[in-house]
Amino acid sequence: MAAGLAGFALLWSLLLQPYVSDAFIIIFLATVMTAGWFGGTGPGLFCVALCTLSVDYYFIHPRYALVMNAEGVPYFLSFLLSAGCATWLASTRRIAEESQRVHFDKLFDQGPEAIMLVDHRDRVQRINAEFSRIFGYTSDEIIGGVSLRFIVPEHLHDEAMESRAKLLNGESVSMESIRMRKDGTLMNVSEIAVPVSTDGQQMSFYYLFRDITENKRAADALERAHAELVHLSRVTTIGELVTSIAHEVNQPITAVITYGNAANRWLAQDPPNLVEVRDALGNIVRDATRAGEVIGRIRTLVQKGTPQMTLLDVNEVIRSVLNLLDAEIRRNGVRVQSDLGLVPGVIGDRVQLQQVMLNLIINAIDAMSRVPMRKSVISIRSSLDRDKVLIQVEDTGVGITDEQADTMFNPFFTTKPGGIGMGLTISRSIIEAHGGALWAASGAAGAVLNFSLPSAGESNEAN
Amino acid sequence: MKRTESIVFVIDDDASVRSALKSLIRSVGLEVEGFASGQEFLDFQRPDVPGCIVLDVRLPGISGLDFHKALIKAGIPLPVIFITAHGDVPMSVRAMKAGAVEFLTKPFRDQDLLDAIQLALDQDRIRRKQDGEISELRERFETLTARERELLALVVSGKPNKQIADAIGISEFTVKVHRANLTRKMQAESLADLVRMSVRLNVSPKS
Repeated sequence: MAAGLAGFALLWSLLLQPYVSDAFIIIFLATVMTAGWFGGTGPGLFCVALCTLSVDYYFIHPRYALVMNAEGVPYFLSFLLSAGCATWLASTRRIAEESQRVHFDKLFDQGPEAIMLVDHRDRVQRINAEFSRIFGYTSDEIIGGVSLRFIVPEHLHDEAMESRAKLLNGESVSMESIRMRKDGTLMNVSEIAVPVSTDGQQMSFYYLFRDITENKRAADALERAHAELVHLSRVTTIGELVTSIAHEVNQPITAVITYGNAANRWLAQDPPNLVEVRDALGNIVRDATRAGEVIGRIRTLVQKGTPQMTLLDVNEVIRSVLNLLDAEIRRNGVRVQSDLGLVPGVIGDRVQLQQVMLNLIINAIDAMSRVPMRKSVISIRSSLDRDKVLIQVEDTGVGITDEQADTMFNPFFTTKPGGIGMGLTISRSIIEAHGGALWAASGAAGAVLNFSLPSAGESNEAN
Repeated sequence: MKRTESIVFVIDDDASVRSALKSLIRSVGLEVEGFASGQEFLDFQRPDVPGCIVLDVRLPGISGLDFHKALIKAGIPLPVIFITAHGDVPMSVRAMKAGAVEFLTKPFRDQDLLDAIQLALDQDRIRRKQDGEISELRERFETLTARERELLALVVSGKPNKQIADAIGISEFTVKVHRANLTRKMQAESLADLVRMSVRLNVSPKS
């Protein structure tokens, strides 16, 4: 090649010689540089030698004779220098390119993520070891195949086509989805796809996969365990309340039975006292309805299921819980002061928020039962604090220390004999899942439990 | 309005249960008054007739058992029938030991409650009669002179007149006179009668 180049340069120089004086020097310089750049040291030197000889023979006096004299030396040196520079630059650049390629290959082949390169027709071009490991395909099996057919389960083809459309648009795609292994089993993956285009070439796509089946399973298990725990704690809370609730259902039932018996006796009188009978029947209907309502309230409370996020009026939630706890509150001689402000609605799960209120109020009652000398008052306030709805439950109980204000939210922290110490832990996780915060502070006499929830923006109509 | 012969007091903080009980008790022709708390009952001006209390064990502020004790302490001897929504054995034992007539678990059979009320009213009638007799005896006892009271204690302990005379340093004749007087004043028909009376009055010789 070096010889060809040198010949080519000579031909041009000779052709141009009659028109441009000394043009040969530029052409020969370009020639040796080209040879050095592309050919490296050997061909470069060879070309330098040929060019020097050509110049000596054709352009230096005496012409048409190979006489090495002083006049030829500067030509030789300048050719040598140019070729050397070109060779050096070329090799430096080659080394850099080579090392970049090695780095990339290492990253591709040994990286911790599964990588797949596909071309614009969705043919697999290249995969790495991690890809083989998680998908089960060797390079031979998959390269050249259509990636969609191999690893995307059929029901997700549409999703894959959608993300392909985005890629063709030049956007990267990051998502969690399901992919199929060689053995047909499915796995949860987190997938990142990046379009790569070089000038004048069709677009290619890099796909990065990470198998998150285990994480997902763990997260699901955690979520289920949490739901179980919330349910358990709710049931435990109910367990603590069961006596009180049994009482509440038993009262109207007792009244119904007693009215029924009384009505029979009024009817048996001669003459029957129909005024009393009518009165008793009216009361039977009223008290049976009341018993039904109590049952209904309990059923709502123990319902287990996924949270139902709806627009809620916190004041209504507070009132429903107070209603539910009425018997418990009265039995403990507690006075409830509610100061429910005009607050916007919140988005939340009604039953979960009821459970939090239930926990806070029962804790307050419990704290006050240990201070028998003091008046038992629970103050419940709701207000708007910037863009949050703030609910405060203050008691006149034993109070809390600064240290307790933090530790009381820890799992298994309890001051109640027989308590499982999960009430506040669960309450806090519920409130946090609603995007809010739950914290404790010292009040005028006892403790203040506060929680805030993001407001949904609309003010309620109530009071 | 007919004269009140007896009265049943219902103390239950649940308005429905209270008024249902009142209706039932009225339906058998008994007078009845309802109260939401023990304090309301204590504030009530009770007519002086035989009565009984139907008491809910679980009252706001004070337990029915404690309220029963307070009644006994305050010298209100009305018989008590407990009703409860969740009676357990130890609680009923405590109630019965404290002198309750009956311990019924809600919901109860109406006949059981009415029987218990009847029993309680009978008990109260007897107690009132006995109380009446005792207060009459006490009135009679009050008419005795100091010497006669001293003699009564010795007489009922079974000592002969001679010994009594020696013991308090008076003549046997004087003893006989005093003895005739106190027997007349106490309206006793025999020594045995006198002994029975002194037992009920809790008179004993100071020895």
